Amino acid sequence: MKTKYKLLAVAGFSALTIALLSIFLYLSFQSFNLAIEYFMVGLIVTFVLNAVAAILLLSNSTSGQIARLHEGTKAIAQGNLDYKVGIQTRDDLGQLPGYFDERTEKLKASYFEDLEEKVSEKNKALMQRIEELDSEQQKNKEAEEKTLIEKTKDEATLTSIGEGVVVTDPQGKILVFNHAAEQMTNWIASEAVGRFWFETVPAMDEKGYLISREDRDMYKALTTGKKVFSQSIYLQKGSGKITVAITATPIVLKDQIIGAVQVFRDISHEKEVDRMKTEFISLASHQLRTPLSAVKWFCEMLLNGDAGELNPEQKEYAKNVSDSNERMISLVNSLLNISRIESGRIIVDPKPTNINKLISEVITEIKVKSNAKKQQIIVSVHSDLPLINIDPQLIREVYVNLLTNASKYTPPGGEISVFISKKGDELISQVSDNGYGIPKKDCDKIFQKFYRGENIIKIETEGNGLGLYLAKAIVESSGGKIWFSSSSGSQPKADAPLEHVLGGESTEEKDLPAEREGTSFYFSLPISGVQAKKGEVTLNS
Amino acid sequence: MMSKQKPTVMVVEDEILLLEAISKKLELNGITAIPYSSGKEAIDCLNNLSKLPDAIWLDYQLKDMDGLEFMGQLKKNGECAQIPVIVVSNSASEDKVNSMLALGAKQYLLKAEYRLDELIPIMKQFIAENKTQT
Repeated sequence: MKTKYKLLAVAGFSALTIALLSIFLYLSFQSFNLAIEYFMVGLIVTFVLNAVAAILLLSNSTSGQIARLHEGTKAIAQGNLDYKVGIQTRDDLGQLPGYFDERTEKLKASYFEDLEEKVSEKNKALMQRIEELDSEQQKNKEAEEKTLIEKTKDEATLTSIGEGVVVTDPQGKILVFNHAAEQMTNWIASEAVGRFWFETVPAMDEKGYLISREDRDMYKALTTGKKVFSQSIYLQKGSGKITVAITATPIVLKDQIIGAVQVFRDISHEKEVDRMKTEFISLASHQLRTPLSAVKWFCEMLLNGDAGELNPEQKEYAKNVSDSNERMISLVNSLLNISRIESGRIIVDPKPTNINKLISEVITEIKVKSNAKKQQIIVSVHSDLPLINIDPQLIREVYVNLLTNASKYTPPGGEISVFISKKGDELISQVSDNGYGIPKKDCDKIFQKFYRGENIIKIETEGNGLGLYLAKAIVESSGGKIWFSSSSGSQPKADAPLEHVLGGESTEEKDLPAEREGTSFYFSLPISGVQAKKGEVTLNS
Repeated sequence: MMSKQKPTVMVVEDEILLLEAISKKLELNGITAIPYSSGKEAIDCLNNLSKLPDAIWLDYQLKDMDGLEFMGQLKKNGECAQIPVIVVSNSASEDKVNSMLALGAKQYLLKAEYRLDELIPIMKQFIAENKTQT
């Protein structure tokens, strides 16, 4: 609007100038036409000049303002909020810088407000981060300390452990070699680490043959990924030897064998103690049996009349001595057998055995006693039994014990039955009688050493309370189970039979004899057979 | 008659009472017993006897030697090596039995398990076997 007035003023002023010039020209030349002509030309020239001036004027002021605005925007964008475009004119465009400056001022205010807030937020975050870093550092430090403590503990454990510990990589190269390993092999850890275990410490078997790399425990653990146990003799650095019990365990990480740990223990002393124990048993059996044999043989000769005929009373006394002596002999034998089984030195020597034949032999033996008591023995053996791989001498002992008990603890005229059946992958032997039974309160004790049922002690004085203990030990060492069911001898027939289960197997009702009295013993053996076991002694030797 | 003379059995047993009982029983059964309680003396006697016994009744555990040593000494004398030896002992561990049988003992019996009445026929049987062989 203001620019318009300005232009009009200029145009007016120009028109006046042209009018004055035209009058001047008319007066000078006295020609109206010429004056008109000059006036028109002047008018056109003025108009054009004015237009040019107006354009120049307008463009000058607008572009200047825009340029300043542009500069201002740039400055503000760069962060200079103090920049002022300044108020230049009163027209529309001229008001823009003012407006711009006003906005900038507001922006500046809000910007600083925001900025303060943001700075304080950032500061807070920064402080928090610093705190976090501090605690992280603290944690790291603690973890480091913990690791150090753990490491020191581990090292101390490894050092103080009485067993040799060797850790290898997957190729069998030694990584860790503890103090006990040093002592047992005569190698120093610093020398041993980095060497191959198999070459560093060679091993021999009991017969003195060098064990090949493929048969070494560590090798097996590394190749099969399974834990391996054995006994070997290690050849020490120098010329010594040491008998060790070995456990080699693979180290498995994400299904990959990344090494193995071998732990070994000096068992020279144990071997020596074992040898002494064997020697003691042998000596004791010799020492005890010698006087027993003397009593046995002299009684025999007395009773035979080798020293002259005895009168009936003398004969009776001699017979009592002889009977007691026989009990003593069987007691010594049982004790020896138990010590053999308990010490684990018993030889388990399985052979394909015909159970039917084995039973017949035992029955023949038992019949001497059962016939004297007019007892009946019924035998029923599964018709289709394969030969079973068991130690006949040991299992025979079980049958002998069960059948002797059955005969002993059944009144004259009683019945004894033997059932041999197949159940799944097990052979079940059942020896039943209709005898005195086992009192309820004795049921959990009858497999104990030297335990005899209260009811039968009064009836049958003979017996040492070792038979069932021995039977249980044999059956269990053969991979089987033994249990029984009995109606209590002191309870009426109508009572349900008391079932007593050992080894988690339940007795079957159908296996019970029709008449629910007496006792039934059961034992199972795996049909697949019994594992052979090396040892030093056999039963009754 | 198969033989004019009574068969003889050398009994080597360090327990005097047992030695006495065995000898008495053998005599009662028509067998001459040559009793010895020392292994060494028994070996010496064998080397000097004009007529060797028909069998030897041997206890494994003697005071001056064990059965293995006795068998070793016996083997040194070629003739004596032929005499059947029956071991009657109080301990019969597997290795003892096996090594004695390997050294030529005819049988290994556990003392307390047998009555004398049962042992005499066993002795007689080995004496008879030995006679038919020689």
